[in-house]
Amino acid sequence: MALAESRARGASSAASQLPWLQNLNPAAVLVAVVVLIMPAIASSFVLTQIFGWAYMLGTIALSLMFLAGYGGMVSLAQVTVAGFAGYVVAILGVNGVPGGRGWPWWLAVLAALILSTVVGAIVGALAVRTEGIYTIMITLAIAAAFYYFTNENYAIFNGHTGIDGIPTPVFLGVDWHAPIPFYYLTLFVAVLCWLAVSYVSRAPFGLALQGIRDNPRRMAALGFNVNAHRVAAYVFAALIAALGGILLVWGYGEIAPGAVSVSAAIDILVIAVVGGIGNPIGPFIGALIYVVLKTFALDVLVAFGLDGNRFRLLIGLGFLAIVFFSPDGVIGLWARWRNRLQADSAPPQKAGDGHG
Amino acid sequence: MDSVAQRLSAVGSANALELRGVTRLFGALAALVDVSLTVRPGERRAVLGSNGAGKTTLFNCITGDFPPSSGTIRFFGEDVTAFPPQERIRRGLRRTYQISALFPRLSVLDNVYLACRGVSRGRYSFIQPRRSDALVHAAENLVQAVHLTAIKDRFVAELAYGQQRQLEIALALAGAPRLILFDEPAAGLSPTERAELIEILSSLPAYIGYIIIEHDMDVALRVVERITMMHNGRIFKEGAPQEIEADPEVQELYLGGGHA
Amino acid sequence: MNSFIARRPIWSLIILVVAIALTWIVFAPWPPGFEAVFGRKKLFLNAALNGITLGGLYFLVASGFTLIFGLMRNVNLAHGSIYLLGGYFGYLAVDATGSWLFSFVVAFVVAALLGVILQVVVFRRMEGQELRQTLVTLGISIVLADLMLWAFGGNSWQIQTPTWLRGPVELPLVTAVKSSGEAVYLSYPIVRLVIFLASVVIGLGMWLVLNRTRVGMIIRAGVDDREMLAAMGAPVQLVFVIVFAFGAGLAGMAGVVGGTFQSLSPGEDTRFLLASLIVVIVGGMGSIPGAALGAIMIGLAEQVGLAYFPTYAIVLTFLIMVLVLAVRPQGLLARR
Repeated sequence: MALAESRARGASSAASQLPWLQNLNPAAVLVAVVVLIMPAIASSFVLTQIFGWAYMLGTIALSLMFLAGYGGMVSLAQVTVAGFAGYVVAILGVNGVPGGRGWPWWLAVLAALILSTVVGAIVGALAVRTEGIYTIMITLAIAAAFYYFTNENYAIFNGHTGIDGIPTPVFLGVDWHAPIPFYYLTLFVAVLCWLAVSYVSRAPFGLALQGIRDNPRRMAALGFNVNAHRVAAYVFAALIAALGGILLVWGYGEIAPGAVSVSAAIDILVIAVVGGIGNPIGPFIGALIYVVLKTFALDVLVAFGLDGNRFRLLIGLGFLAIVFFSPDGVIGLWARWRNRLQADSAPPQKAGDGHG
Repeated sequence: MDSVAQRLSAVGSANALELRGVTRLFGALAALVDVSLTVRPGERRAVLGSNGAGKTTLFNCITGDFPPSSGTIRFFGEDVTAFPPQERIRRGLRRTYQISALFPRLSVLDNVYLACRGVSRGRYSFIQPRRSDALVHAAENLVQAVHLTAIKDRFVAELAYGQQRQLEIALALAGAPRLILFDEPAAGLSPTERAELIEILSSLPAYIGYIIIEHDMDVALRVVERITMMHNGRIFKEGAPQEIEADPEVQELYLGGGHA
Repeated sequence: MNSFIARRPIWSLIILVVAIALTWIVFAPWPPGFEAVFGRKKLFLNAALNGITLGGLYFLVASGFTLIFGLMRNVNLAHGSIYLLGGYFGYLAVDATGSWLFSFVVAFVVAALLGVILQVVVFRRMEGQELRQTLVTLGISIVLADLMLWAFGGNSWQIQTPTWLRGPVELPLVTAVKSSGEAVYLSYPIVRLVIFLASVVIGLGMWLVLNRTRVGMIIRAGVDDREMLAAMGAPVQLVFVIVFAFGAGLAGMAGVVGGTFQSLSPGEDTRFLLASLIVVIVGGMGSIPGAALGAIMIGLAEQVGLAYFPTYAIVLTFLIMVLVLAVRPQGLLARR
């Protein structure tokens, strides 16, 4: 897995610039152009229901990728943080269940982001008390507990019904809920988060996190406070997840416990793993696959004569296939395919194990 | 940073390391018994002995991985017996491991950079360092010191065993080390690699002292000025390499059973 | 125990005082002032007994989970799905044969078979890759959940309590004293008590096997040190298969129990997976006594919470988990 990643990311020195500059290849430029001019070629439905959703889910999955890929911590509580942020915006702002505080949107967003980092720190503090595989268990328990709580509690979260009537703000004279503005909004946030994660991964903080992933004992022996670093990583990831969650609540116009259910948490993990947790672009690829599948599964299944509701079965089978055959996700598949092409075209070189 | 360490070592007549009556018990097992040891600043020492003599336990006590059951440890005049490993590292103590403890999914340069970062400020920085950054330079210099510049961008997982051992040494040189503990640095190396190791150790700046645990007498005799022999948790002989080599008791107990 | 009292005299005193207080609370009729503050004794006793018997059910499910993780370091996220699958098949068995006891056998066999297939076909190929194994169990739980939804629908299925276990029994616990001076005793469903006793018996049986037999010794050695197990020359793979099958089978049988106590429906798999997770986090990985302690604690927390502050019941469970993580992260009765 490490070798595939190394070729995909490209080995770079500690003082390199943004890694994507080195990988600036024609395919990437093409994708960027297409993504930017998408509104000119795609329908409103595709813009918001496919791409907009992919950007939002991808952002949340990116927060999971940051923790899992760079930190070695698989957190199933990212959806919890995202949903929490969404609920805060819903409760503090205007909503259709009279009871919203009516705060201006930017204040509600600010509060949501701040509170989400606190929640992220708490999740992190709980999760780092134990090693490795326990992280999945503890974060899953946290996610489930939050789900059950929002489902039962009517005083704050309005229980099973949830909160609806949440407006997307109008600012700078633009109604951001309209398809084209919403597309660009979600695209902007996604790109921002993707750049942030890529950049931070090569900063001392990100490098230290990767060191902790690889050998926490040695990092402690080198002078790092391993647990403090891990909690800080959870806080950073919480910010990203919160951004995704706020966009989702604007996109849906409502929020209910289903958004923070265990299924939702697992779906984000599936998205991240299918795309590939070794590279920040992975979660977005996974999200696109997921959204396309979800949108067209009904028609495809019926066309094959199967029960149209079996979308989750497809997700589960697809996920299993990836975990079995390409654990580093679609990115890994692509990287291996690209290496095979390069190996075919270039003369064979030794992998270099002579003396340094 | 280097000059600061030099000045610190020169000033004061404190010994780099002073162990007095250090004993370490594991239940009924006495791994170290009344060990007293003095290492001067810049001194090169080897600790030799058969398996089970207590060498690694000695290192673990010095680094603070666990406290001695009794006795004191002074590092450059300061009583560090109760200090956690963190504090000892910050005062210039370093250690390498018998089994390389590296970061496989990061490059050689990144590994050394992390070691340099660990003992300086800015560990949580979100800003990428520039090419001209002082710590990056320090890391590159260290990579050069251990002859790994040609592969500085290669991932550790792809390195050969000998190269990993060289990197292990580089990690210990980060920051301003005043005393380094090398745990079997020559283990598993080919003759060429061993020659390189000897060269690296010999060319370390004079103010950096080190203690080597080794089984390989060839390497040990060539890079140190003084040898401490341990047996059953005690120190039973100390002297210059030639003396030790010629000593009949040592020959019987240690060399007599064949070279390790 | 004497050494425990000697080492921690204050804790021993506290435990003694708490034990005496609890004994009084349970067995003595409550004076009116007490009831004014704490509510009716009947409510409390029902909640306490519900909690303990639910704890028995949680123990059945969680003990399999903890064994599988303790030995094979595999967080089996499909454990809840196995519980539900066993329950559904148990229902079908009762429906077909009318025998409640036989349904246990069916549930055990189906679940154990699934366990064997998983271990042999899937996990053996991923030896040592803990995260990957866990992800596979996740994928399997997704697939199983949807297949069961497809096959059994979204409604609740309830397994009928067999006639010979129906009805209440009077327990020697006073709930109130009538004005005539006559004591009123608590009536409690027999089936819940029987199932709790069965859990205790199974738990003791497991403990005996683990601590008094050769197979048990191999398993315990494996929980402590996997590499050592192989070095001992024990048939490692066979032991893994047996343990996985047994753990899964237990979960399947628990499905029948849950189907009788409560009901079977989509979402129960998540609920019991979560219960297993929390029980094991609290009690300690790989520890059967830990699973028992954790199960009782969580069962009580859930039922007492449900009786006294329903919308915040989950918070109590969660708080217990957080406390344990803060104070003793490896679990209350874990070895380390």
